[in-house]
Amino acid sequence: MSLADRPHEPARLGRRAFLRSGFVPLAFPVLAASGCRSMQFARVMMQGEDAMIGSHQAGQETFTPLVNDAVAKLLARHVDAAVQQVSYTEGAESLPSPTRRICFVGVENKSAEDIGDFKEQIYQSIDSRILESTVFQSVNRRFVDAGLRDTRLRPDQLLVPEHMRTFAGHMEQQGQPIDYLLYATITSGTTRENRDYQRDYVLTLELVEVGTGTYDKQSAELSKGYHHSRLSRWRATNPLMPK
Amino acid sequence: MLRTSLLVPVLFIMVASTGCMTHVVRLQPVRAAFQRGDVAEADRLIALELEQRGSEEDLLLLDRAMVTLADGRPADAERMLRRVRDSFDHLEEESPAENAWGMLSDDGARAYHGEDYEKVLVRAMLAISNLVQDGDDAEAYSLQIADKQRSIVAAAAQPDGTNPKAAYQQVPLAPYLRGLIREETHRDYDDAARNFQLVVDWQPDFGPGRGHLARAVGGSHSRRGHGVVHVFALVGHGPFKTEVEEIPTSTSLLIADQLLSTQLGTTLPPTIAPIKVPRIVAAPGAAASVQVAVGDWAAGQTETITDVSQMAVGQCEAMRPYCLARAVARRTAKKGTIYGFKQGLGMREGLPSLALDVAGIAWEASENADTRCWSLLPDRIQVLRLELPVGSHTLLLRPLDRQGQPLGQPVPQTVTVADGRNSYLLLQATDAGLVGRPLTNSP
Repeated sequence: MSLADRPHEPARLGRRAFLRSGFVPLAFPVLAASGCRSMQFARVMMQGEDAMIGSHQAGQETFTPLVNDAVAKLLARHVDAAVQQVSYTEGAESLPSPTRRICFVGVENKSAEDIGDFKEQIYQSIDSRILESTVFQSVNRRFVDAGLRDTRLRPDQLLVPEHMRTFAGHMEQQGQPIDYLLYATITSGTTRENRDYQRDYVLTLELVEVGTGTYDKQSAELSKGYHHSRLSRWRATNPLMPK
Repeated sequence: MLRTSLLVPVLFIMVASTGCMTHVVRLQPVRAAFQRGDVAEADRLIALELEQRGSEEDLLLLDRAMVTLADGRPADAERMLRRVRDSFDHLEEESPAENAWGMLSDDGARAYHGEDYEKVLVRAMLAISNLVQDGDDAEAYSLQIADKQRSIVAAAAQPDGTNPKAAYQQVPLAPYLRGLIREETHRDYDDAARNFQLVVDWQPDFGPGRGHLARAVGGSHSRRGHGVVHVFALVGHGPFKTEVEEIPTSTSLLIADQLLSTQLGTTLPPTIAPIKVPRIVAAPGAAASVQVAVGDWAAGQTETITDVSQMAVGQCEAMRPYCLARAVARRTAKKGTIYGFKQGLGMREGLPSLALDVAGIAWEASENADTRCWSLLPDRIQVLRLELPVGSHTLLLRPLDRQGQPLGQPVPQTVTVADGRNSYLLLQATDAGLVGRPLTNSP
């Protein structure tokens, strides 16, 4: 008798049939039970290791070069100025030029993004670099904050001559005379191309001389492309693609 | 013999997955004690629950944190909240084992990692708990609130570009906290303005929002010789989850059962047991706001910055289709299991088949909706900003009902105001008046 000719035997349990049909619904959860919740891990990133790049907004890959570039240019220009000021007079003893004191008022974020905890880091980074240079000496931030609180002046109000004098006078009273005010501003410009966009970030450092109100300005710029897919990124970076 | 031995694991799973009293029912005495202002009793009941139900430790710790705050111990509350925050972050990761077990029983089998609004509010409560101490970590917490809100929405993006959480009501308390912290620096007014702008956008009904924005854009933190007292009031009875029967879905499944039973040539357990899903219910109570007086001067009333109940109900509705889909998938899996066993055991009709159908119905009926939630949240989080001269002031705090009538006895609280600085005051108000004692960071 062929298999096809056999009568149907509903009441008998075949082992294979059981395994195939009856056990499958149970096997699924048992197999799945072997999976467990993943853990979060961390690692210390080595020097020279590729840093992460913010996929939706600016991160260290943007701010670190901006700070490095802008501060280096500003300091370089003022080192030159300091060197030019020193002249040799025969018979006279040469004196080192006095270190100019900078009051770094703060970082202002005028970009399209909320920079969150980067703001403090940008401030500290710029402040440290200025302090490391021999060109300027920066006033400790706690004195700056106390000065702003005591005078109830907003950072943007300090550029009004009367307010600037008030603030400088107050700082001097506290034993922290200042020669310059330094402002850092982050701005951005966004260009959209369908679902991708390019964002140009600019960090501007403005140095205002307290006595005269004259100012110097230095900017650094960095552009970042945000792509909605890997393909889109590949198309944007592939030189063979038509522009 | 073989059939009997094979039925044992099936019956074991069915018995093991039998539901029990829901979370919301068990926690009802705790809610009642807290809402009538009996902090000690609420704490005792939670401690009892913690002893008996280690699996619900996170949720019970959330409730205990609220009780601990009312008891005047913000450092302990912060520690509990931090622990739950970390635990929720870990439990957010998918666990295939739990998902599978959840398909065999109900959503209660899955480790609870908080509703979206709870994940955000746990950080908000961390920030507030920290502000009424030294405030050292408050800024970090405020950043975490914003990050969490962003990541919750981003993680829900679907491959087709839609996002069920895109329309979520955001928590305006988060930018409000950040705004007032940044404003106190007297330097980062741009940050303050950016955050107060979000408050205005997210909570247009918040009256003082525009005033805060205008001050951040062109004013200063406070006048010389003045400081600011920020009052945070956790007002009313928060939302809770209840179990509802999804009748239309149950009826649809019943029809599907009948169709499939005809086509497959064997019976399926009919959908007699209704599909149960959780629903968030608002029961705000009578407390509406808190009036603050300084001496004889009625300084103002707290105003709502975040309507917790409204936000919770809205989020629940947004995710309702997904919750239903999971319940239907679970029911289908259970029916599939019964069908598979019948096939495997060769049952098509007769008493054994009927017995398995009855067992299947019992299995399905054992499902409970997952009603776990943070049950001692307030209905609304309200705030009031008071600019006061430097020195010590006694504030008289008086909870009001919706008709403006006082609830309970007014409570005096002394705060010390420092020049150009923020002081913080936290209180909880229910129908019974103030619960526990107010907390302040000032000496």
